[in-house]
Amino acid sequence: MSVFINRRDRGRGSVGFPNRPDQMADDRALDEIAARAKQHGYVVRLREAVGRTAPRLRYAFGPLSVGWRHRELILAVLRRELADRFSGSVLGWAWAVVGPLITLLIYTMTFTKAMQLPLASAQGGTSSYALSTFLGLIIFSLFAELCCRAPLLMHEHAWFLKTSIFPSETLAWTAVLRALTYAGISFLVLLVFELALNGVLPLSILLLPFIVVPLVLFLLGVVWFLAAIGAFTRDISYLMITFVPLMMFATPVFYRVADLPTGLGMLAYANPLGAVIEIARAVVLDGVFPPILAYLGFLVVSLVVCRGGHAVFQRYKGILIDVI
Amino acid sequence: MSSDLAIRCSGLGKAYQLYARRPDQVKQMLFGSFRRFYQEYWVLRDIDLEVERGESVGIIGRNGAGKTTLLRLLCGITQPTCGELIVTGRVAPILALGAAFDWEMTGRQNVLIGSAVLGLRRSEILRRLPSIAEFAAVGPFFDQPVRLYSAGMRSRLAFAICVHADADTLIVDEALAVGDAAFQQKGLAFMEAFRRRGTLILVSHDMEQVRALCDRVIWVDYGGVRASGEAAKILRLYGDATEWEEDDDIRFRLDAEARTALSPATTSRGRKKWWIL
Repeated sequence: MSVFINRRDRGRGSVGFPNRPDQMADDRALDEIAARAKQHGYVVRLREAVGRTAPRLRYAFGPLSVGWRHRELILAVLRRELADRFSGSVLGWAWAVVGPLITLLIYTMTFTKAMQLPLASAQGGTSSYALSTFLGLIIFSLFAELCCRAPLLMHEHAWFLKTSIFPSETLAWTAVLRALTYAGISFLVLLVFELALNGVLPLSILLLPFIVVPLVLFLLGVVWFLAAIGAFTRDISYLMITFVPLMMFATPVFYRVADLPTGLGMLAYANPLGAVIEIARAVVLDGVFPPILAYLGFLVVSLVVCRGGHAVFQRYKGILIDVI
Repeated sequence: MSSDLAIRCSGLGKAYQLYARRPDQVKQMLFGSFRRFYQEYWVLRDIDLEVERGESVGIIGRNGAGKTTLLRLLCGITQPTCGELIVTGRVAPILALGAAFDWEMTGRQNVLIGSAVLGLRRSEILRRLPSIAEFAAVGPFFDQPVRLYSAGMRSRLAFAICVHADADTLIVDEALAVGDAAFQQKGLAFMEAFRRRGTLILVSHDMEQVRALCDRVIWVDYGGVRASGEAAKILRLYGDATEWEEDDDIRFRLDAEARTALSPATTSRGRKKWWIL
């Protein structure tokens, strides 16, 4: 069942874009509930109070419920895209492992043999420095890949969106899950190396899901936002191609926050990507409990970005189909 | 909302935003609440429509009258600019058959994705795959990339997906135009059978097809409903009208005389219609 309600007066009242449809439906549901509660007694009103929070909850978790509702479709598209990527090659999925493996080998070689960096974090054993850089790079390239792809996401699937009832917000899910799969493969390579070097993996690795879930929400928000804006203008795509490589140096990828002077260190944590990289390093490499403030900060940022990105996407979704 | 309505819309309207230059779209995004950077083109306005569950409705009208836009609204592909639209149940659109395929994927992969778009579960799709392949009858091409298909084969495959979607409402736009006579027979037989259990919305220029399949006909013209009612009556009216109306471009004009009369009278907050030059 699909409902679209756009109150005529409000729709026409704002000359910009039509208002958010799901907000409208929720408003209406609230109005109805309020009207009924006025007529009936106390018990009904209590029951309605529960009913009243439901639309609000639905609004808050809107981004996730959409993903859940279309999970079959998201998985179908994801399965196809993953199969597609290596289907024309002889080695197939081996490439997904070979790429990160070579990267890690070259990193280790560079940082242990060729280059001795004067960083504090590089003193504690060069192979661990290579691992820390590799982990930073995994997360950063996950972000970078999505940033560069997201503005073109709607254009890539334009014909699909225009001619079928394909729900456009699921494209962000597929894009994020696909990038996450590749990052996951790189991560497995990293774990194997860590195990080979240290002989043991820290127990704190079990905390990893608590990092991945907010990271996924954060990335989803970013993709929704960029995809919506990018549908209107190609400039966003060029902006990202210029901007993202620069961001790599503003993010603690090749260094650690501990290497920075205190003031700058705080700034590095203010960068959500920097925060998540440091948190992941603490959990995966150092085997310590992550800096709790940085974690909470990242959690809040990721929720806000996810909700905000989705709100922007919903706002422009209606006319998006008409402009691409 | 009464439960036996499959589709209800009131005051439904759709205006496309026409931009003179592409950068205007960005300006509209940023400063849209202060000024309007586009020209409105009202494709549809003030559509009131109620379709009961199990009813079959034909939509007729000339090119550019707004038929396809109406169908796209009903399917949820585009969103209305104003008005209220409630659609219940699973909708399977048969619009622009085969256009939504990814040409690099095989027929089988396209079926998996296409059926998932219509809301089928993977297990259901896998169970129906043999039946879909049989209905489409494209033989060994089922496992070949769709770019190798002929137009007819693509539409056969797309039609087969919709047939197996278990839809409550079928929305059909000129679906059988490409298929050969035998396939058209098969398609018509399916739609005839579907009529008895589901809601059917059919757009066609083939008056005989509409007469055979629809209880009720809506004649759309200039973005509004010109007449609606019992099939035979409306078809007769439409037939008469096509005899004396000439083929002109008035439907596609953007200028004031042709379009302002059509757009809803509400101009918001005393805004000047400055874009009419």
